[in-house]
Amino acid sequence: MSALKILLREDRTRFRPGETMDGVAGWQLDQPAKSLELRLFWFTKGKGTEDMQIVQTVRFETPQNDEARRFSLKLPDMPFSFSGQLVSLIWALELVVIPGDLMTRLEIVVSPTGEEILLHSHASA
Amino acid sequence: MRARDNPFATTRIHQIRYRLRGLNWDELLQRLDKMNFRAAIVGPEGSGKTTLLEDLAPRLRERDWAVIPLQLTRESRQFDKAFLSDLLRTLTPRHVMLLDGAEQMGRLRWRWFRWSVRRAGGLIVTSHRSGLLPTLLRCKTDPELLRQILGELVDLKADAVFRRTEELFAVHRGNLRDAFRALYDEWAVRPESALLA
Repeated sequence: MSALKILLREDRTRFRPGETMDGVAGWQLDQPAKSLELRLFWFTKGKGTEDMQIVQTVRFETPQNDEARRFSLKLPDMPFSFSGQLVSLIWALELVVIPGDLMTRLEIVVSPTGEEILLHSHASA
Repeated sequence: MRARDNPFATTRIHQIRYRLRGLNWDELLQRLDKMNFRAAIVGPEGSGKTTLLEDLAPRLRERDWAVIPLQLTRESRQFDKAFLSDLLRTLTPRHVMLLDGAEQMGRLRWRWFRWSVRRAGGLIVTSHRSGLLPTLLRCKTDPELLRQILGELVDLKADAVFRRTEELFAVHRGNLRDAFRALYDEWAVRPESALLA
């Protein structure tokens, strides 16, 4: 069975805007792939239409079936990770096999405090 | 309650797929075949027409159809002329057009559209009203369907959760989309009690 993994240095998942995020993308594939792509993106979740934006991509060309490669991504200054009652903005990394549907996702937090910003007093984790 | 944790968030609602009742997908596709792939999915708002059309698409692709998804809404009731002109030039008998919201077109525009796409191998539409094309399926909801879906969205004991199902169904006149939107708002303020009240 194929497996994909995204590992971040020191297992960090909380970052400040502008920080550099270092990690390793690893994969074990049953079938050869043309390439893999690591995507840094944010998306919204909540009530109503959802939004998303891919901020950076790293392409891993001519991958072996069992391999791990390092990556380094500089986080942008905004938007911050936040949650209100109507919408949450969530940052994530996604490793995708091309072609195909195989993927894995790792959610991260990007904010000046390193914590998701809660927009209302009733919000709770 | 953070929006991301709300069980009625749009992402989760979109993951609910259409549940055929009384026939299976193969039988539905056989029915479509007999209708020469020109048919309408009919039903009121929030009854699953769009979801059924979406779920039909991959099954048609598996059968080597080239699927063209199209959508009209109250806000966008007609196609851009240049887009439509390009589309019509490329149509072949391999294409099946899946048009969501066909009722948005006026009668004359609909008749023109239907004639214009005659080269396509198929035209399947959703509509609130019957009569645009022969009816493939009438989408219906009932409190039991709402109950089943709620049971998948929230992890609470069935007896407690489902007390309000009948009321929700009646208030929203069977429009499950509206029922889930209302539950989103209630859940945002009072998690779990939204269904237990």
